Amino acid sequence: MEKYLEKFRFYLRLTGVSAISRRYFVMNAFDGALTALGVIIGAWTSGPVQPRTLIGAGLGVSLAMGISGFSGTYFVERAERLRKLEELEHSLLMDLHHSVHVKAQRTAMIWAALVNALSPSLAAVTAIVPFVFAHYGLISKNEAVIISLMLIFSLLFMIGVYLGKISRERVIISGIRIMVVGIITAALIMLLGNM
Amino acid sequence: MDDSLVPSPTIKRVVLDVLKPHQPTIPELASRIVSCNGANRVNVSLAEIDQNTESIKVQVEGSDINLETIRNCIEEMGATIHSVDEVEVARKV
Repeated sequence: MEKYLEKFRFYLRLTGVSAISRRYFVMNAFDGALTALGVIIGAWTSGPVQPRTLIGAGLGVSLAMGISGFSGTYFVERAERLRKLEELEHSLLMDLHHSVHVKAQRTAMIWAALVNALSPSLAAVTAIVPFVFAHYGLISKNEAVIISLMLIFSLLFMIGVYLGKISRERVIISGIRIMVVGIITAALIMLLGNM
Repeated sequence: MDDSLVPSPTIKRVVLDVLKPHQPTIPELASRIVSCNGANRVNVSLAEIDQNTESIKVQVEGSDINLETIRNCIEEMGATIHSVDEVEVARKV
């Protein structure tokens, strides 16, 4: 297991996919969280919230974002990495087919695609978890909305903290900055929903 | 003395001119070569650096170096041997 993990890390280092997947992770978790926010507040301002409807919509959105994230990234990364490999073969005047580069690039494509698929899906699924509790009558519908919004804002804050750590800025400020984007989005949706 | 009784020579040291991509790094490539069968010590020095590639001098020392094995190890890492610049051969004792 340790050997495979070491090999996997070596492939990530070789292809430089770590930095790209970090970007994908943040961008898409942010996407997933804001999409879930849109679905929940949109439904809330449009009338009485039906937990079952929100769970269905949330899971649908999460699945669609996951599939779109995986396939989109896989094809984009594949095209970019095949081109890079060809350029490298041209520079080295050799066939890299049996080298670690081909395996590493394949691993990088799948890794980037998985990060891109899972980050928005997990963010969206997290946001609908309270509605599962509401569906089984463990909490009220309004409580579910409030807990869900709190989860989304916490998630946005954590994304900001993570970004702050990458940029070596003050993590609290960075977290609040991202959370404010969520609050503005929520306010805009509420405003539109009440029109 | 019968010629057939003379033990076959073994390669003790070889200096190779290698062209490699920037990744894997020189320490990674050197570590891979030293783990190849027959190599005991590897010394790598950078000769030239280009946009996509690096030219390096690889000195491999060992008790019985198999050039083909070393070539395979180097090519597996996406590098290629341009030339064999030096070879030190000794008779087996």
